[in-house]
Amino acid sequence: MKITSNSLSYRNGSFEGIDFTSEKGYAVRVLNNSIAIAYIDSEDWDKAKESIDLALKKSESNGKNNISLGNAIKDNWIVQQKKKIEDFSLEDKISILKDNDKEMESHGTAVRINGMADKLIEQRYRNSIGSDISGNIYRVSYIYVMGFVNGGNFEQSIQQFGASSGFEYIDSLNLAKRIEEDAKGLKESADSRQPKEGDYDIIVGPEISGITAHESCGHPTEYDRIIGREGAQAGESFLTGKKFPYRVGSDEVSIIDDPTYPLSYGYYRYDDEGTPARKRYLYKNGMTNEFILNRESAYFLNTDSNGGGRSSSWDMEPLARMSTTYIEPGDYSFEELIEGIKHGIYIKSFTEWNIDDIRFNEKYVGKDAFYIENGKITSRVKRPTIETNTIKFYSSVDAVGKDLEFTAGTCGKGDPEQGVEVWMGGPHIRLRKVHIK
Amino acid sequence: MDGWPTHPSQEGAYKMNESEIQNLVNKLENKGFTEYAVTSINSRIEQVRFSQNSIDLTNLWDEANFHVFVAIGKKIASTVLKDVAEMDITIDKLWKSANSSPENRSFAGINPEKQKYPYNVNHRAVQHDLHEFSQAAIQSALDNGAERVAGTAYNIFEKVRTSTKYNKCEYTTGGIELNIRSFRGGFSGQEGIHWGLQSNVSKSDFERMGSESAETARVTERKESIEPGKYTVIMSPYVIGNIISSCAESLSYYSVETGMSSFGDQIGRKVAGDGVNLVDDPLDSTGDGFRACDDEATATKKNRIITDGQLNTFFHSYSTAVRSGSRTTGNAGIILPMPWQLKILPGRTKLSDMISGMKNGLLIENCWYTRFQDYRNGIFSTVPRDGVFLVQNGAIKGDLSGIRISDSFRNILSNIEEISSETKNAKWWQEVSSTNMPYVKVKNVNISRAF
Repeated sequence: MKITSNSLSYRNGSFEGIDFTSEKGYAVRVLNNSIAIAYIDSEDWDKAKESIDLALKKSESNGKNNISLGNAIKDNWIVQQKKKIEDFSLEDKISILKDNDKEMESHGTAVRINGMADKLIEQRYRNSIGSDISGNIYRVSYIYVMGFVNGGNFEQSIQQFGASSGFEYIDSLNLAKRIEEDAKGLKESADSRQPKEGDYDIIVGPEISGITAHESCGHPTEYDRIIGREGAQAGESFLTGKKFPYRVGSDEVSIIDDPTYPLSYGYYRYDDEGTPARKRYLYKNGMTNEFILNRESAYFLNTDSNGGGRSSSWDMEPLARMSTTYIEPGDYSFEELIEGIKHGIYIKSFTEWNIDDIRFNEKYVGKDAFYIENGKITSRVKRPTIETNTIKFYSSVDAVGKDLEFTAGTCGKGDPEQGVEVWMGGPHIRLRKVHIK
Repeated sequence: MDGWPTHPSQEGAYKMNESEIQNLVNKLENKGFTEYAVTSINSRIEQVRFSQNSIDLTNLWDEANFHVFVAIGKKIASTVLKDVAEMDITIDKLWKSANSSPENRSFAGINPEKQKYPYNVNHRAVQHDLHEFSQAAIQSALDNGAERVAGTAYNIFEKVRTSTKYNKCEYTTGGIELNIRSFRGGFSGQEGIHWGLQSNVSKSDFERMGSESAETARVTERKESIEPGKYTVIMSPYVIGNIISSCAESLSYYSVETGMSSFGDQIGRKVAGDGVNLVDDPLDSTGDGFRACDDEATATKKNRIITDGQLNTFFHSYSTAVRSGSRTTGNAGIILPMPWQLKILPGRTKLSDMISGMKNGLLIENCWYTRFQDYRNGIFSTVPRDGVFLVQNGAIKGDLSGIRISDSFRNILSNIEEISSETKNAKWWQEVSSTNMPYVKVKNVNISRAF
């Protein structure tokens, strides 16, 4: 695998610098009495052989020693780009950062950080049963941090955008407009009040339906978690030990992970173990349906991998990972969702969030949020907090919107921690009687 | 680590040796860069991963790279060079990138002062059989009541060299790490310890970590619940280590300048409880956060960040020190200064006395997933795990689930009222960086819970 990347940033009106990296290496997995992987960044065969021989020796120790082998596949694939990464000049990139910094400044924000990155991954996978797959992926991303100070109050916004694409994706974002709306929201939030604690009917926006799909559906259905492989760090799953299918929510809730979703930041045609990618229903009509499998975890289910084996780099082991995880849209327009609420809260986006290590007990703190009175959005409300659990959350869903939006993220898992690019998304969804603090 | 070089005198075995570094430095000077900082890292790392009481995988990394930072006046660029065959192309790209960039107005140069480094900084790699040690830890946990055990063990050895126009520094670092988690029924216990190259780590240390994780998992089988509110909390080295690791960036002068820290005007002021002494101690080679110099070859030193509750200094590079009118603390990150090995110095209270003296409070053994709703004011929540106990009248009454510490860094620091005499070299995953932490008793901690 060869990874070529560039990143640059602007902070509070000053250029920070440019960083670029070009690296390549090999990962060689050997199966014996146990499994060992040698990671080699040398083109010198003698040095490479030294590492492979050592891996062979280590694999003589007893341990788990099986993976699902699958079929031999020969193919090559590439992500197409219209505005090529390699043709986009440094001056053009700096100009975008500078313009967005100025846009933020014009709205009086005290903290302004803008960063942009691009990456080309060239990979080739071969195995002892005859697979030989080559793939090229281009990924671009943009991140900004904006903070508004009002006396002792501070309202922050951290936004990440990313796609498997050329630079045409950055052009499509219309960042200036997004920043203007975001800055306006931060100012209004700083002046607004927190809600009175109690039970509310709520609507959450695609940003929140996306993070819940990722955190409380995608992670707990990674099968390596369910069988305890990540037990010491990222943890296990509330689905460990359950009989499947297992009810996790109302009939309205179906959640998909699909690495082949066009443009997604987590897009791929073949995973990092040479398995074809495909769409998977993780939850279907409120029940567990399918798990995310890499070759190792698939062996424990006596089945084939479903293309979930991803590694963040050539020197990391492939784990069962998400790519593009989203709540499947339903039939409701936003107007239809909201007209069914007499007194409630619309939580459009979030700031702080976290979840326990079995992916059950979770918290989302609203960023842009508004009261709903008699089916109409009224005044802004500050940081409404949902602190609930996965089954309560999904069981409260009574209507699902027909819109669909995605946000980009970097998903962490594994030891050493591997950050992989993902999209998270969904429609607006309506939940009944959710406790808000 | 059979078959790999273990001593710094085995120079020929390093993929990026002294002559290649000198070659790179000569080329950078000839190209005309006004400043540079080059760090070569040759690393050999072995990792054993285990779960469900048996070994899953051995990972072996044998890698080398150059971290290169260059400046033309205030125009800067950086890269990681992995392949010496690409040295000339990379230098040309650095030149072009820096020349095409606007100035970084915050960059004040690489530290030009001649540095003196401690002489004893080239320690040997630790030679242990990680498979044997890991299996011993698993067995010890099982013998002490664990039903299933998961974890990772590392043996890390890195040869580091940093060269600038003004200084040259070299040292070795690394050591052994063990992260082990025991499960029993619906309960768990976890230990995560690092030992530096100058520690005498043995199989019995692994066995002890295994048994301690199992003991935490079987402290109680009774489930309790509490109402949200303010509680006195005894935080383990992993809990306070997590909070300090997550919040330490707010003590970097970079964060102060950016507007992401509430400590900006607090130098010389009280920011923590009376007995709190927070130091950054990169020269303690009994921990694996050891390093002899920072990224611009400034000699590292023990820095007292908070003394008796009073804030003494921020983390500084040469540039941030120049901008703030102070001196570098040897914590570059040239752009973003950072700590290396934080410690809260031990107090006089025994953990057992902390617990026995607690009328109604919590003992929290671990936490994870710390996230902020307000970076500037350090307002965060974190999710307790691996032993979350209700303590009443000096005894553990039961285990709690579904709660969070939902508070601010400033409140936690200010409300530390007791510090234990026992400490741990706490480190696990990305949750706790290399630290040495005691147990701390903190009053008025805001606890929230799920509904």
